[in-house]
Amino acid sequence: MQLSRRLQSPPFQGAMLLAPALIVYGVFALYPLIDVFGLSFMKWNGLTPTRTFVGLDNYVQVFNNDPVFWGALRNTILWTIMSVAFPPLIGFGLALGLNQNIPGRAPLRALYYMPVIIAPIAVATMWRWMYDPFFGLFNQMLAGVGLQSVIKDWLGDRNVALFSVFIAYVWQTVGFSMVLFLAGLQSVSQTLVEASRIDGAGRFGVFRYVTLPALKPTITIVVILSLINSLKAFEIVYGMTGGGPAQSTQMLAMWAYTEAMQLGDFGRGSAISVVLLLITLAVVIPYLRWSLRRQDANQ
Amino acid sequence: MRGLGFLGRVAAFSGMMMAAAVPAHAQAIKLWTLNFANDSANQAFQSIIKQFETANPGMTVQVETRGVDEHKAALRVAAGSDQGPDIFFSWAGLGLGGEFVKSGLALPMDKYYAQYKWDDEFLPAADIFSKQYAGGRYGVPYSFHGEALYYNKALFAKAGITSEPKTYADLLADADKLAAAGIPAITFGGTVNWHVMRLLDEILETQCGAEKHDALMTMQASWASEPCATKSFTEFHNWSSKYFLKPFMGIGQDQSFNLFLAGRAGMMLEGDWLVGQLKQNNKLADYGLFLFPTGGSRLYGFSEYNYISSKSKNPDVAAKFLDFLASKDVQQAHLGDFGSISINKNVKYTSTEPLDQEWVKIFNEVNGTFVNGDQAFPLDVTTEYWRIINEVASDNLDPSKAAAELQKFIGNRK
Repeated sequence: MQLSRRLQSPPFQGAMLLAPALIVYGVFALYPLIDVFGLSFMKWNGLTPTRTFVGLDNYVQVFNNDPVFWGALRNTILWTIMSVAFPPLIGFGLALGLNQNIPGRAPLRALYYMPVIIAPIAVATMWRWMYDPFFGLFNQMLAGVGLQSVIKDWLGDRNVALFSVFIAYVWQTVGFSMVLFLAGLQSVSQTLVEASRIDGAGRFGVFRYVTLPALKPTITIVVILSLINSLKAFEIVYGMTGGGPAQSTQMLAMWAYTEAMQLGDFGRGSAISVVLLLITLAVVIPYLRWSLRRQDANQ
Repeated sequence: MRGLGFLGRVAAFSGMMMAAAVPAHAQAIKLWTLNFANDSANQAFQSIIKQFETANPGMTVQVETRGVDEHKAALRVAAGSDQGPDIFFSWAGLGLGGEFVKSGLALPMDKYYAQYKWDDEFLPAADIFSKQYAGGRYGVPYSFHGEALYYNKALFAKAGITSEPKTYADLLADADKLAAAGIPAITFGGTVNWHVMRLLDEILETQCGAEKHDALMTMQASWASEPCATKSFTEFHNWSSKYFLKPFMGIGQDQSFNLFLAGRAGMMLEGDWLVGQLKQNNKLADYGLFLFPTGGSRLYGFSEYNYISSKSKNPDVAAKFLDFLASKDVQQAHLGDFGSISINKNVKYTSTEPLDQEWVKIFNEVNGTFVNGDQAFPLDVTTEYWRIINEVASDNLDPSKAAAELQKFIGNRK
């Protein structure tokens, strides 16, 4: 009886429900995280069973003698800033438009969301072809309208390659922000909207003083998810440029993978991963705390 | 009791079935190789496996093919488990293939070299890479390739070039003639770093000579203090700025080949496998080839190997398959599918195609080889070598500083 009561107790049932997810999280997220941290102090080529402790040497090498690391860091920061600014802004605009009672609203929502469900590597292949300097869609179109002077080697010119990849990334991810904003917009209280209109607020006033404050939790989520996704940008860059030309589109996540899986230096790859993790935490945690504090203050 | 008896009989029957199944399973091997750009090689591989399985009932070969980078990554992941391949493809030499040998992941094959008398079968130039390790012999040749300049006969004629260049100065003069006729002299695909690299490898052999070039590639000599290294980067930049079909950094080697086929450039620096690709496109008659005139007698080329994994549970079956693959009959039947030359020295060359004959002549006259930079250097140096080459090719790095920059990286290695 006592056992049966204990089995039926909410804490026990809660623990039982959480246990599978915790085990999966522990095995596939926590353990690798700890292992990568440990590996960043080792020299290991991924082939031999022995790992040699080298202290901070991997970090020293990465910071002082890696000709790619600082460029990859710069690209990652630039990419993150652009990712937090553009896809959410465009997604927000689309969500505002598609929240109106316009004809074809449902199919348009599906159309804008569709790129999100395509595998990034397929997106990369598709856009690589469109960017092809000889036969690609963009250069053909530019040539067709007489803009030969604008024609570029979109993925081969280091001055534009990162931005070319980013446009493909925006195309793929904007639907994700749009859906989150749409959900947020639909939770805005219509009573408040109507009350503010009765009080004389115009369209902008309703937006500024009712819609926007109500969307703050959504904005926080979109910004944080955009931040995290952009910091770990990998597939689309890998698929479109492989980090080239001359490592000019290299990103930290991809460089960590390259060092470990392709160059066989797991210690250095892990050190780069740890740096990336620390940057992510340093950016995300303060923003999250600031947002939560503001929400609490507003409530 | 009756129930237990029935269960016992079921268990015994299951045991017998398992015992009967084990030998068949024990004859199965896994082979991991590349998805080759030359599709005739992929098709030939499948056909050879079927022949082997027919000739050896109970033995099965399961093939997994991947792109180059995916293959390298898969092998590295498999190194930590027992689920990897019995046979794996890698390149010969101390660079890419050597890493697996040095890490104890390849099986010493002295026993099989003696058992199958492979030294009587393999081309010495391809065979030699198996002997460069202290602990025994590793891997068997899968292919042996040379690289040369292919040229479009019609474009050469249009530019007024009447004979193949014999010296580097002749080659430059021909490139100038092509440029004057409005024809880009040569095409490369920059997204795959190793393609553009080939030109610098050839220029280094030309400017430095065999001995100094080898010293540079083995990092025994300083790139910063060898004037020929800096001269090579300057020459390379001269080519990339004046003679390359542009743009080139945003396209791959496969597209570069398509542009070459479409008559957009005069030359392409490719391996003997291009003959098969030209054949597939019915363009053999339109192209000729000559060795890059380095001024030396060494052939720019490399060998590809198959290694038996040290974790293989069926190394004897694996060796038997490799012997079958390398046998004279199989190689004779599939001559041209893997390249113009077979790794079996007893194969007879009967092709009447001029390009095939040209390659056979080149291989017969070869006096030493020098390998591609990415097979000579360790992986990290290769990556930096590519970065510097690409920076020079795209005018982002002064060629006079490139050799010193590479040496700086080499000097900082730990």
